Amino acid sequence: MLVERETIERARTGDAAAFNEIVLAYRKRILGTVSRLIGRPEDVEDVAQEVFVRLYYSLDQLRTSEVFEPWLYRLTVNASYDYLRRAKRRNESRMADLSEQQVMMADSLAGGRQEDDERQKGQVREFMDALFRHVSEEDRLLLTLKEVEGLSLKELEKVYGVNENALKVRLFRARQRVLKAYKTAIANGSF
Amino acid sequence: MTNDDSGLNDVFQRYRSACPDVEPSANFMPGIWQRIESRHSFRIVFQQLARPLMAGSAALLLLLVILNIVSSQQTRLTAPSYVDALLADHSAEKTYYTEAIRSAPSANERPAVYQH
Repeated sequence: MLVERETIERARTGDAAAFNEIVLAYRKRILGTVSRLIGRPEDVEDVAQEVFVRLYYSLDQLRTSEVFEPWLYRLTVNASYDYLRRAKRRNESRMADLSEQQVMMADSLAGGRQEDDERQKGQVREFMDALFRHVSEEDRLLLTLKEVEGLSLKELEKVYGVNENALKVRLFRARQRVLKAYKTAIANGSF
Repeated sequence: MTNDDSGLNDVFQRYRSACPDVEPSANFMPGIWQRIESRHSFRIVFQQLARPLMAGSAALLLLLVILNIVSSQQTRLTAPSYVDALLADHSAEKTYYTEAIRSAPSANERPAVYQH
């Protein structure tokens, strides 16, 4: 843990300084996780702030400081999920067709013609975003936590409060769907 | 693991590095407290409104319960029971019978033609 248990206990009793200490310790980690979960750098800070606001109001529900980190992860996943749902509703009308993006990404990634590194990274994010559209928002987050964040099944079990086997099944199905979309991308444009 | 699987894993890794570690802005911490304060004031307003509303609802509920009890007691006092209704019905029959007997003319009341 990045903070002492005592700090968490103090924050639970409403100590603002202790809460600030927690935010300072975890903000970079949360910003990074949110960044990978939602894939849109421009909104990362907004979602991360929401995570800490939710933490502030839910600290009294925390049974013990031992489960603080899975608890914080759960809040991060929930805030990211809410953001993705809102974003999906906003963008539904102007959502690009996956096959168009796949061809574009396959061209740009395979050719290696990109001069601008940032632009290329943006395209990777868009491509991943397009693949993730083949699974639900819940599965997108679960898959990202496992494949991108590198969380183990044991850790995921603590975050979700669901047993490992159920998670395995869900992860397998989600991955299969993304894999199918990825194969289509290869077929469309030599990835 | 197939080629597709490893290819997908590669995309996941690229995605990880394509999502940069975002540095918090100077407004990060004040922004959090600003949100906390605004929600806190919303909660206070909500609580202030919720209390009188709850009290009003409780008073209305109590009034309705009292009215219900009073009206059911009054109904019990005024409305006849089933036995009362039967008795009333029986007395009506009796009255009818009595009236039938009474309707037969007495000797004094008989017309003169019958008097010998």
